[in-house]
Amino acid sequence: MIGQPQWFNRRKYGGWGLYPKTKEGWYYVLGFIALMAISQSIPGISQETKLYVLMGLALLLIADTMHIMANLKLDEREKIHEAIAERNALWAMIFILAAGVAYQIASGIVANDILAIDPVIIIALIGALIVKAGTNFYLDKKD
Amino acid sequence: MAKITNKIFDLRKNLGLTQESLAEKVGVTRQTIISLEQNRYNPSLALAHDISQVLNQKKIEDVFFFS
Repeated sequence: MIGQPQWFNRRKYGGWGLYPKTKEGWYYVLGFIALMAISQSIPGISQETKLYVLMGLALLLIADTMHIMANLKLDEREKIHEAIAERNALWAMIFILAAGVAYQIASGIVANDILAIDPVIIIALIGALIVKAGTNFYLDKKD
Repeated sequence: MAKITNKIFDLRKNLGLTQESLAEKVGVTRQTIISLEQNRYNPSLALAHDISQVLNQKKIEDVFFFS
């Protein structure tokens, strides 16, 4: 991939993702912004093509960011802190999503519309369940 | 659970090592060394072993104390 893990730090207080730690990290960010801006200002290219190029660059950035995050070097204390923080964030998210589903079911019953539940919430919960089961299966096998 | 204390600060000072250089030698951040010296973080056995080695101690028990 393009970016190097040593150029970035993980976000701890401002959401998820990365922020540049070194000047190379800033060059990387500015380079992507410049590429996106240039791709949108080339004359003689259709709006649709520009959109595809922009989406391609965005996908490349997301994939590269995920690769960098997976390879960020954390020591054992940082790994424990990250695991606890992410677990707490996930618990909060699951509680809110479950409360949302309960509210939507209740609203649906009152309005005689049982399909009022947002399928994205259900898919997110099932996705998280699969990832959790898979992770536990892997960890049980590993140690 | 046993409380773990240590004398990393004294041993490090005796060797003239900075927190940064000790952190680099054992592959952790300086913040982790600070937490260890303040007895706020219990290290893994592997990290305790590495720190003992860098601080020229033969046994982990020469650096870390279980009470």
